[in-house]
Formats: sequence, C-alpha cells, structure tokens
Amino acid sequence: MELLIQNIVTGLTIGMIYALIALGFALIWKSSGVANLALGQLVLISSWFTYGMLVQLKMPFLIGMLLTIAFAIILGWLIERLALRPLIGQPILSLIAVTLGLAYFLEGLTAFIWPQGQGYLPKAFSQDSIQIGAAMVQQELLWGAVISLLLFILLSLFFKYHKMGIAMRATADDQLAIQACAVPVNRIFSMSWIFACIVAATGGILISSIAAINYGLVETGFKSFSVVILGGMESFLGCIVAGPIIGICETFGGSLFGSSVKELIPFLIIIIVIMFKPFGLFGEERIERI
Amino acid sequence: MSLPCGTRNYSYNTDMAIIRTKTQWVMFSLFLLALFTLPFYLPSSWFDIVNSIGIIVIAVVGLNILMGYCGQLSLGHAGFMAVGAYTTAILSQSMQMPFLVSLICSGLSAGLIGLIFGIPSLRVKGFYLAISTIAAQFIIIWVLKNWTGVTHGANGLDVMQASIGGFIFDSEIKQFFLIFSVAAISVLFATNLARSRIGRAFIAVRDNDLAAAVMGINIFNYKLLGFFLGCFFAGIAGSLYAQYKGHISYEDFTFQQSILYIGMLIIGGLGSSIGPIFGTIIIETLQKLLTNWVAPWLEQTITFLPTGFSSGLNLMLFGLVFILILIFEPRGIARLWSLFKGSYRLWPFSY
Repeated sequence: MELLIQNIVTGLTIGMIYALIALGFALIWKSSGVANLALGQLVLISSWFTYGMLVQLKMPFLIGMLLTIAFAIILGWLIERLALRPLIGQPILSLIAVTLGLAYFLEGLTAFIWPQGQGYLPKAFSQDSIQIGAAMVQQELLWGAVISLLLFILLSLFFKYHKMGIAMRATADDQLAIQACAVPVNRIFSMSWIFACIVAATGGILISSIAAINYGLVETGFKSFSVVILGGMESFLGCIVAGPIIGICETFGGSLFGSSVKELIPFLIIIIVIMFKPFGLFGEERIERI
Repeated sequence: MSLPCGTRNYSYNTDMAIIRTKTQWVMFSLFLLALFTLPFYLPSSWFDIVNSIGIIVIAVVGLNILMGYCGQLSLGHAGFMAVGAYTTAILSQSMQMPFLVSLICSGLSAGLIGLIFGIPSLRVKGFYLAISTIAAQFIIIWVLKNWTGVTHGANGLDVMQASIGGFIFDSEIKQFFLIFSVAAISVLFATNLARSRIGRAFIAVRDNDLAAAVMGINIFNYKLLGFFLGCFFAGIAGSLYAQYKGHISYEDFTFQQSILYIGMLIIGGLGSSIGPIFGTIIIETLQKLLTNWVAPWLEQTITFLPTGFSSGLNLMLFGLVFILILIFEPRGIARLWSLFKGSYRLWPFSY
C-alpha cells in the first residue's frame, strides 16, 4: 500500500514536468500547425544556457533566470523568423523535416559551446524530502509540479481571455478567415514560438536542477511526445491530464519490472494509443474530405 | 519528361527505356567503368568512406521508396537497419547460413518489423506517423539492448565477413565490389519500381490518399507494401554493414542516424531516383572530411574555445545545410541536376 501511494505521488510529480514540456509542443501545434520535433533540443540548449550564466559566469540566481527567459524569447523569435516563416504553405513533410534540421543544429550548437557533455546547476530548492500521507516526496519534484501547474493555469487563462490568446486559437481554427479579419498571422506564429521556448526553458531548468544536464534531456523531450499523443495534440487539458498518467505508468512499470522497462513505457504507450485511439483523450478527430 | 532534341520513339520499348540516346549509353558505360575501376586509382585509405557511402545509399534508396514515393514518414530507419544487421549476425554466426541467404533473410525480417510499425499509417498520417516511427526506433533499440540472451546487450555481436561460394570478401577492395554490386542492383530495382504500376500507385497515395482510394487503389496494401519495401532495403543495408564492420552493437544505430538518412534524402531530392545517391555522397563525404581533417585542424588553431568543441561542428553544419536546402531548394540537388542537364543539352543556345 505504501509503495502504491509512493509510486503514485512520484509519478504525478514527474509527470507534471513532462506535461510542462508537452505544453510547449501543444502551443505551437495549436496556433500554427507545425509539429516541433526539436522539443528536447530546446530544453537542452536552454538548460546549458542557464548553466553558462549561473555556473560559468557566476551570476546571481535571479538575474540568471531572467537572462535565460530573455534567451528563450530571442531563440523562439529567431527560429520562427529564420527557419519557419520561409516555409509557410509548404507541405507538412517539409515542416516536420525543418524541425528535425533544427534539432540537429541546436544539438550541434550545444556541443560546440559546452562540449563537456555533463553539467550541474546549483540546487534551487531544498534537498529535504517531505511527508505527504504515507509517501515521501522530494521537495524539488513537488516544486516542479507546482510550477508546471501554475504555468498551465496561466496559459489557459491567457488563451481564454487575452486578446492575443483568442487570436491564436482563431488562427488554429482557420488561418484564411483570421487573416481576413486583419489579424497579423505572422506575429501570432512568432508569439507562439516564443511562448513555447519559454515553456521549454522553464521545464529545462526544473529538470536539470533536479538531475544533471546531459543528453538525457533530449530523451525527456521524446518521452514528452507520448504525453502529447495520449492527451491529444490540440488540448492543453490533455497535456496536463496525460502527463501524470505517463509519469505514473512509468514509475509503476519501473518498480514492477525493473528500471530498464521504465524507458520503454512512454514509447509503448505511443504505439498503443496511435493504434487504438489515434487522436488521444482530448484531441479533435479530423474528418478529411477530398 | 525532357528528351534530347531530335529523339523520336518508334516503339513502346524505346519509349520506356531508361537510357535512350547513344550519348547517354556512352556516359552511362563510362560512369560504370569509372565506378568499378575505382580501386585502381583511388588511394586505399579512401575506401572506408566509399564503402560506407555504398551501404548508406541502399538504406536511403529504401527510405526514398517509403518517403519520397509513398509519402509515409519514417523516423526509425536506423532501427530497421539494426534489425537487418542483427539478423545477419545471428544467422551467419550461430547458424552458419551462407551469406546470400542471410542477406535476403535480413531484408525480410526488417521488412516484417517494418510492416508491424507501418500498421498505424492506415489510420494516421503526418506528424502522428512520425511519432509512431520514433517510438519504433526506440522500441527496437530497447529490445536489442535488453534481450541479452540473443543480442548480448552492450557487448554486441561479432559477424563473419561475407563469403560467396568459398570466396571471402576479406579486404576493403573486395568489400567494395560486393557492396557496390548490391547497391547497383538496389538502385536499378528502385528506379524501375517507381515507373511501374506500384510506383504510380505510391505516388497517388502520396499526393492524396483519399483521392487515390476513390480511384480504386487499395491504400491498405500499398501503404504496407511501401513500409515493407523501404524496410527491406534498410535490412539489406544493415546486413552489409554488419559483415563489413565485423562487429555490431545497438549503439551503431542511433536516432540521430535516422534523422541523418532523412536529411540525406531531402538534400538529395525526395522522389527522384538519383536524389538518394547525391545526398548520401555529399553528406557522407562532408562529414568524413570534417571529422578527419577539418576538426583536428580547428582544434589546433583555435585555442580560446573549450577543447572538444569541434564535435558539435558536424551536427551544426549538417543541420544548417538541411534547413537551407528545405528553404531554398525543397526538391533537392536532384532538381539542380535536372536543370543543369536541361541547360547543357541546349547549349550554346538558351532556348
């Protein structure tokens, strides 16, 4: 029983961080219909940037964080402006492929500037575990979950009430119609990339302050695709529901069948979901016409 | 289809031929001659590059059938190659099968695994399919890593060099003839496949699968056939890779490699028979040049950057070329090549 609760709580908190990264994916997909496969690499490069600011240049924590956010904003803007905008109207294959190229480029860039392959951020949160009912939880995991939840609520509110958010949803619905209403679609695309990069950077800082900065962050990005697929790509709610589900499945699989199975579970979930319920829990089913 | 001036066809056979004029015949024979006499004038240190180009061409040709003609994205091609490589290792090492049998079996086993992971393509496409093939890559590698009874996990497997009828391919140059014979057959097969009923059905499915279904093309069969053929070639390439290297482990078939093959295909030109060859030669040569010569030189000359920075150079440059090609020439180098051919045919007149 104790093990059960322990697994559930650990899975929930880890899953919330997956959900956060998946949120960055859903943002871009929702507004511009581009599938961003460079998710893990965005997380990786922003974590390394934080490392560069906090450890190599020895900045104070707060300023380092602000600089990382600024870096994420610039990165998102540059990516949209230089790589994605020239490809508007191209087939989906090109759009997927360009994010793959981007993934390669960003990975190369991190290896170029930080070739050491492994780095540690200063711990932002207390290392003690706290007792929740019968389960012990690491405090930093809990903080990660809380921050993810906060960001999720903020983003949902933004999409629901803010003018820009409404315009973004409208763009996702019908690009031509929204252009006819004189909404600058280009700006909306670049806003969504900027948001996605900020979310990825936040997720990156959270994960890498808990564990280390290394290539594993890219694999975390891949695992987040299972969240996206299970939750349905159009849905923020899907992300925040599916994230903990994946996290719980992972910790249970890990404790039942050994830790090597743990890495496999997100990918098995992807295959199962795509075979039986391809549009996920909350995704919209697309009906195609000729 | 552009044809040289003054060439007229008087029978269906001449109309369908790949090589039509005397000049083309001469050029083609010269090319083949130059290719297969390569060992006489190329320094032998180059043969590891040349041989790996030959192996990768086969894999990318398979990817071209799947992605370029059938329009189904596969981000797990290196995983399917791994299936072929391990099949060869197991068949030739522990069961003492002749090489040709294990070559074909590798292709078939990779094709079958490809069929399984191709099933989602019947319901989803585009990004969903991309994700499911990413999952395929990771699941295959996970199985190879953890099924230690058969695959020996991280230790990998030793593979004998290929031998056909007592003739052992035990040097780089002998390997060269083996690899390039298989590669030539693969390219010829793929070229002809694209012109057949199957190839046309693939193209119809790629351009609009609903419309293709309405026209009476069985999408179920053709999508799965696309996956089978694409992965069959990957398996063949994996098999050749295994016996060429002599030792394989799951670390040889990473996800980055899958992306690299897609990159080669797109840089070369999707849906053209010559594209995969261009793409592979250019990217593979560039990468080898970078890692063997440029990177050490940069490490020595530039001292203010942290040591080891050049390992990122390769990835960065490839990503950059990939993005630039997608933006400026989405149909790849094959299109530049056909533009060039069109202009030299008319030279010196511009019309």
